[in-house]
Amino acid sequence: MELAIDIQREEISLLVDKAKEARKLIIDMAASPTGCHIGGSLSAIDLLIGAYSKYVEDPNTLIILSKGHAAAALYAALHVYGIIKDNPADSYGKAGSLFTGHPNHKLSGIPFATGSLGHGIPYAAGWALAQKMKQTNGLGIVIGGDGELQEGLCWETAQIVQAQSITNFVYIVDCNGGQNDGYVHDISPLRNLRQRFEAFGFAVKEINGHHFEEILAAIEPDPDRPVAVLANTIKGKGVAAIEGNPEAHYVKIPEKLAHKWKVNLS
Amino acid sequence: MTKKSGRDAYKDELTTLASSNDQIVCIEADLGGKNHPFGQQHPQRFFNLGIAELAGIDMAAGLAEAGYVPFFSTFASFAALRAAESIKLTMGYMGKNVKVVAAYGGVSGGWFGTTHHALEDIAVLQSFQNIRIACPHGEQETRRVIREAAASEEPYYIRLSRNDAFDSLDRAEDESCRNLIVEGGARTARSKLCLISVGEQATELCKRIVQEDDDIVHAHLCYVDIQSLKPYIQPLSGLADQFLVVEEHRATGSTASYLALLLPKHQVHSHHCGEKWPIYGGTHAEVLDYLGFGFEPLQQQIHNILGGKDGF
Repeated sequence: MELAIDIQREEISLLVDKAKEARKLIIDMAASPTGCHIGGSLSAIDLLIGAYSKYVEDPNTLIILSKGHAAAALYAALHVYGIIKDNPADSYGKAGSLFTGHPNHKLSGIPFATGSLGHGIPYAAGWALAQKMKQTNGLGIVIGGDGELQEGLCWETAQIVQAQSITNFVYIVDCNGGQNDGYVHDISPLRNLRQRFEAFGFAVKEINGHHFEEILAAIEPDPDRPVAVLANTIKGKGVAAIEGNPEAHYVKIPEKLAHKWKVNLS
Repeated sequence: MTKKSGRDAYKDELTTLASSNDQIVCIEADLGGKNHPFGQQHPQRFFNLGIAELAGIDMAAGLAEAGYVPFFSTFASFAALRAAESIKLTMGYMGKNVKVVAAYGGVSGGWFGTTHHALEDIAVLQSFQNIRIACPHGEQETRRVIREAAASEEPYYIRLSRNDAFDSLDRAEDESCRNLIVEGGARTARSKLCLISVGEQATELCKRIVQEDDDIVHAHLCYVDIQSLKPYIQPLSGLADQFLVVEEHRATGSTASYLALLLPKHQVHSHHCGEKWPIYGGTHAEVLDYLGFGFEPLQQQIHNILGGKDGF
């Protein structure tokens, strides 16, 4: 028992280190000439690291980042897992670089270009349906945003997922409370989110989206229902200067500041 | 033997193909009709996803990523216009192997009204690039296009009409629908005018014209996407100096407009559906008539072109 706890602690400690490494890359991308969507990238990075840690070696499971503006987080996660070899921060946003501001499907580990919000959810649902037909036990995992839930396509897909009994589908919502122009609750509030997903037949799990034990436990499929993980996160998590500030949705920062933020990563 | 409409030929051919290709999946958006033959014969691979066109096409892309060959069918207006972004992203930009089969192209919905007409779909699809666009005429050509789409890894948009049934023009047994079919005209010399037909009604009109005037030649196109149009230029150039493209579509984004760019030394005219909105009811033919598209206006336009003035 003691040994098992130690192994789990070691695993979590490894994920914390990977997430820290990825956060440094995200900060470096924010210090590029183009800047990046740093707030949502830092809120989503623990969810990405958790999902890849669990399923990176499963060829039948696909992880799709639907909130594509957090591309910096996706590139960073894929880099720390060795799927993307080049350091994304070296050429992010530059002419001739595949590291564009939204996920580029020409890169390893990124089957779909996303960023026009809502589309990643049906891509993952279609993949999950294919695995169900093939009886592979593979999953469709999608990481979306709470602001993204304002798109009708998300709910159109949730309707189909329940109608077709696609139970090998895990929909993680990065609930950081912010969107481009401000707070979600000020612009178009998502009332009764848990009940909404439950009404669509999902098993709903509410977690701390920066707590790896909770993330790893939540992204297990439910044998009878699709899963919705409402992950409470902090926009800009890890950089005290911008945590929780919707103004930090998209930023360009000087290299000096990037250095300071990396040293002070919480 | 009774001929099948393009829609019925699609359903029948896909159902047959799926018997020998277990990667084919048939997806409907609640407009495929009850007792769909594919659903009856291959229920595990038939999905009516409901009235959700964007999600349907995006899910088809997810299925394609996993190795399936999904055929997604709905009406042209809802596929090409409502789900335009899904088609642009998944099929145009990412090249996912999705086949969209769009019934009710043009105004074939007749009395259903403006919401159900699609006189802009080719323009929308052309602008996305990299999608094969086929407008088959009649049962045999439709069946052949479905077989070609299933065998290809390219994304396809296949434009069908509603329930009219026609005999397709003859093709050799193993000939691709990407080849031109040429009929009529005085074969010994260049014709004074070449009619180019796209789609069912247009092809029927052109067939009638060349039956009555053998000085005019008729070239039938099935594929009208940009990659498919380019190889037509050389054979078309050998047929005539003047072309009149007949198609049930707006002028903007029409096949005629693109052929005009590809044939700068020739005169390219267009018999199209004009600029009016088809606000009145009626049969398919009556709505076309309201739009100025039909046999008599086409005859008049040919007369004007050959007399030196295209007054359309």
